[in-house]
Amino acid sequence: MQKLLLFVDKLSTWVGQAFAWLILLLTLQVSWEVFARYVLSDPHAWAFDAMVMLYGTVFMMAGAYTLAKNGHVRGDVLYGYFPVRVQAGLDLALYILFFIPGVVALVWAGYTYASESWAINEHSNITADGPPIYPFKTVIPVAGVFLLLQGGVEIVRCIQCLREGAWPSREADVEEVDVEKLKEMVHVRDEDIATLDAELGTRGAGGTPAGRP
Amino acid sequence: MKRQAWFGLSIMALVVVLVFVLMPSPSQMTNGHLGLLMLALIVVAIMLGFPTAFTLMGMGVIFAWFAYYSRDPSLANRQTLDLMVQRTYAVMSNEVLISIPLFVFMGYLVERANLIEKLFKSLHLATARVPGSLAVATVITCAVFATATGIVGAVVTLMGLLALPAMLRAGYSTQLAAGAITAGGCLGILIPPSVLLIVYGATAGVSVVQLYAGAFFPGIMLAALYVGFIILAAKIRPSLAPPLSIADRYIDLPRFAQAVSATISHKVIPGLLGALRSRNSPELPRGDLLRHLGIALLPLLAAVLLMGLIHRGITAPEQVDATQGLVEMGSEAQGAGNEPGRELAAQGELAEPKDEGELKEPPADGELAEPPVEGKASQSPAAAAKADAPPAGEAPAGQPAAAAPAAAAENAAGVDGERRPAPTGYWIAVALLAAVLAAFYAVFTFTRLEIFKMLLASFFPLAMLILAVLGSIVFGLATPSEAAAMGSLGGLLLAAAYGRLKFPMVRESVFLTAKTSAMVCWLFVGSSIFSAAFALLGGQELINQWVLSLEMTPLQFMILSQIIIFLLGWPLEWTEIIVIFMPIFVPLLPHFGIDPLFFGLLVALNLQTAFLSPPVAMAAFYLKGVSPPHVTLNQIFGGMLPFMGIQVVALVLLYLFPAIGLWLPNVLYGR
Repeated sequence: MQKLLLFVDKLSTWVGQAFAWLILLLTLQVSWEVFARYVLSDPHAWAFDAMVMLYGTVFMMAGAYTLAKNGHVRGDVLYGYFPVRVQAGLDLALYILFFIPGVVALVWAGYTYASESWAINEHSNITADGPPIYPFKTVIPVAGVFLLLQGGVEIVRCIQCLREGAWPSREADVEEVDVEKLKEMVHVRDEDIATLDAELGTRGAGGTPAGRP
Repeated sequence: MKRQAWFGLSIMALVVVLVFVLMPSPSQMTNGHLGLLMLALIVVAIMLGFPTAFTLMGMGVIFAWFAYYSRDPSLANRQTLDLMVQRTYAVMSNEVLISIPLFVFMGYLVERANLIEKLFKSLHLATARVPGSLAVATVITCAVFATATGIVGAVVTLMGLLALPAMLRAGYSTQLAAGAITAGGCLGILIPPSVLLIVYGATAGVSVVQLYAGAFFPGIMLAALYVGFIILAAKIRPSLAPPLSIADRYIDLPRFAQAVSATISHKVIPGLLGALRSRNSPELPRGDLLRHLGIALLPLLAAVLLMGLIHRGITAPEQVDATQGLVEMGSEAQGAGNEPGRELAAQGELAEPKDEGELKEPPADGELAEPPVEGKASQSPAAAAKADAPPAGEAPAGQPAAAAPAAAAENAAGVDGERRPAPTGYWIAVALLAAVLAAFYAVFTFTRLEIFKMLLASFFPLAMLILAVLGSIVFGLATPSEAAAMGSLGGLLLAAAYGRLKFPMVRESVFLTAKTSAMVCWLFVGSSIFSAAFALLGGQELINQWVLSLEMTPLQFMILSQIIIFLLGWPLEWTEIIVIFMPIFVPLLPHFGIDPLFFGLLVALNLQTAFLSPPVAMAAFYLKGVSPPHVTLNQIFGGMLPFMGIQVVALVLLYLFPAIGLWLPNVLYGR
C-alpha cells in the first residue's frame, strides 16, 4: 500500500516537474518573439497562441504535483492549531465533499470538451490559420486525472493519519522558504544566532536594554 | 487549544450565527439567499483549512448544479459541466495571467542570485549618517529586493538572518528592528511588478499596465513613510536606534586611495586628477586611477545623457512623448541601447556592464564609463547624444560641477534646427540637477567612492532590472507578459553575472515557479467556477440590492469596503481575498462612481496589512523562525503595530490625494 502511495506521489511529481520546464521554454520563446519583432521585424503569428498554451499547460499539469507537495494555499487560521486527527478528519470529509465532485466533474467535462475539439479538428481562431488547439484542450482531462489520482492518495493518507495519529511522511521537495539553504546563502550559522541570543540574554539581565555591550 | 484557535473559532461561530440570524425561514428562501449562504459557507470552509482552490471548485460545482436544477432539471448536469470546463479553459487561456509564472520565475532567479547580502551592506554604509541607519537600510533593502523578487517569506527570512542580528548588536530596540524587517518585506506585493496587481487586474478586469503605473508612487510613498518614521523615532528616542560606532562605519580604502587622500586630497575628483598629473609615485598605478575616475564620473555621465535625451524628446519637431526619456533612464545607465526595441533586447544585459567592474576588478572599469556612451551614441539616431557625450567626458577635467549645464547648452546649440525651444521648466530641471551634482561631487570623498562602488555592484543592477521591466510595461513598449519574460531572462543573466547560474539553481527555480503558479492559477480556476455559481444563484444581485438600499455615500461605501477587506486580511491571505471578494465589490463600484483602478490601488495598499495582522501574519512567523529565542513573537507583533498604523495613514493619504496614484496613469494614458 505504502509503495503504491509513494509511486503515485512520484508520478505526480515527475509529471509536474517535467512540465515545469516549459516555463524556461516560455521565457525563451517570449523573449525571442520580442527580439524578433523589434530587432528582426519578423513577428510570428503563432507566438501568442504558443505563449498561452505553454502557460496553461504548465499550471494545469503542475496541479497534482503541487497537491502532492501540499503546496495549495490553505486557510491557516485554525488548521495549524488543530490536533492531527482533527486535521485528518476534516481533510477526509472535505476531500469527499468538495474535491471528488469538483475534480470528477472537471475530468468528465474536460473529456467531452476535448473530444469535441478533436472531432472538429479545431484550430485557434486568434489569427488566421492558427495552430491546432485540441492538444491544449486535452490538457484539462489529463491534468484532472492526475489530480484525481493524487487526491486518492491524499484520502488514503488521511485515513492512515486517523488510524495512527500522525501524518505519513512525504518526500522532500524544494521549498520556497528553505531556512537552511537561505542561511547557507548568506553565511549565517546556527552558532551565530545562539551567540547573539546569549548576548541579548546578558544584556537583558543587566537591565540596560539599549546599552552597548 | 491555543488563543489563536479560539480567535478563529469565534470568527467562524460569528459567521454561522449571522447566517442564522439574517437568513429568512426556509419557506421564503430564494436562490439569491442560497447564494449568500454559499458565501458564508465558503468563509467557514476556507477557515477549516482545506486547500482553498478545491473548496471553491467543489462548492461552485455543487451550487451551480442546484441553480441549474431549479430552472430545468433535465439540463442541469450538462449545463454544470459546460460551465465548469468553460471557466477552466478561460483561466487557461487568460492572457493577463500569463505574466504570473514569468514574474514568479524572475523572482526566484533574482532571489537566488544572492545580491541581498551585498545590497544590505552597501546600503547600510551609504546611510550610515542617517539616524536609525540600520533600520533605514533594512527598509530600503527590503523594498528593492522584495520588489524584484516578490517573495515575502524569503525576503523576511533573509533579512531576519542579516539585518536583525546587525540591528540587535548595535543596540536597536527589538520592536523597531522586527517592525522594519516585516513591514519592509511586504512592500514587494505593492510595488510593481507585483503578482498581487496582476491577480487584481485579472479579477476586476482592470488593465494591469495602468495598475502598475498607478501603484508605483503609492508604493514609493509607503516606503518613504516607513523610512521617515524610523528616522523620526531614532531622532526623538535615540535609545531605540543608537548611532553606529566609528568602527562599524569604517570602510577599508584601497592602497592607492589611502595614498591619494593622504598626499593630495581626500575628495575623489581633485585627488584623482592631481594624482594623474603627478604620475611619479609607484603607489599610484595609472590604471587604477583612470578606472576610478571613470566610476566617479558615472553619475555625471548618466545625468548628461538623461538630460540630453529628454531635451531631444521635448524639442523634437514631431512631439513624441516627453516621457520617453524616462524609460530610457533605465536603459541608459546600463549602457544599453536607447531605442525602445533595443532597450528591451538589451534589458537582460543590464547586470553585466555594471558588475564587470566589480567582479573582475582589474581593467574593465576604465572602459566601463566611456564605451557605453559612445556605443550608444553611434547606435542611436540621437545626434544630440553623440554631440555632447564626449565634451561631457572631458569637461569635468576642468570644473566637474559646471559640466552638466555646459554640455546641455552645447547640445541645445548644436542640434537646434527646426527644433522647438525647450521649455523653461527643463532648464530649471537642468540647473537643479547640476546643483545636485555639484553638491554630490563637493562631498564625494574616497570613502564615498568605495560605497558607490558597492552600490554599483548590488543596488543599481536590481534597480535597473525593476525600472527596465516596469518602464517597458508602463510606457507601452511591451505587454506585461513580454516584459516579465524579459525580466526572467534578465534574472538569468543577473545570476550568471554573479556566478550563481548553475543547473540546480535553475532547476529549483523552475520547480518552485511551477508550484507557485499552479497554486495561484488553480485558485483562479476554483474561484471563477465559484463566482459563476454565485452569480447564477443571484447572490450578486441580492448583495447589489442590499448595498444600494443602504443609500451610502461613496465615502461611506469606500470606508466600509476597506474595513471589510482589512478585517478579511486577518484570517485570510491576499490571494483568497482578491479572487473571492473582489468579484463582489467590483460590480458595485460604478454605482458609487469609484474608479476600479483607484479601488485596486487602495486594496493593494490595504492588503499590506494582511501580512502584518495577527494571527495569520506570515511575515512575523518567518521572522520568528530565524530570530534568536530571546526575541518573542509578541515583540515582533508589537514592532509591527506602528507600521500597520503607517499603512493606514498611507491609505488615508491615498484616498485624500488620489493623484498620488492616478497622476501617472492619467498622464500616460490620458484616462
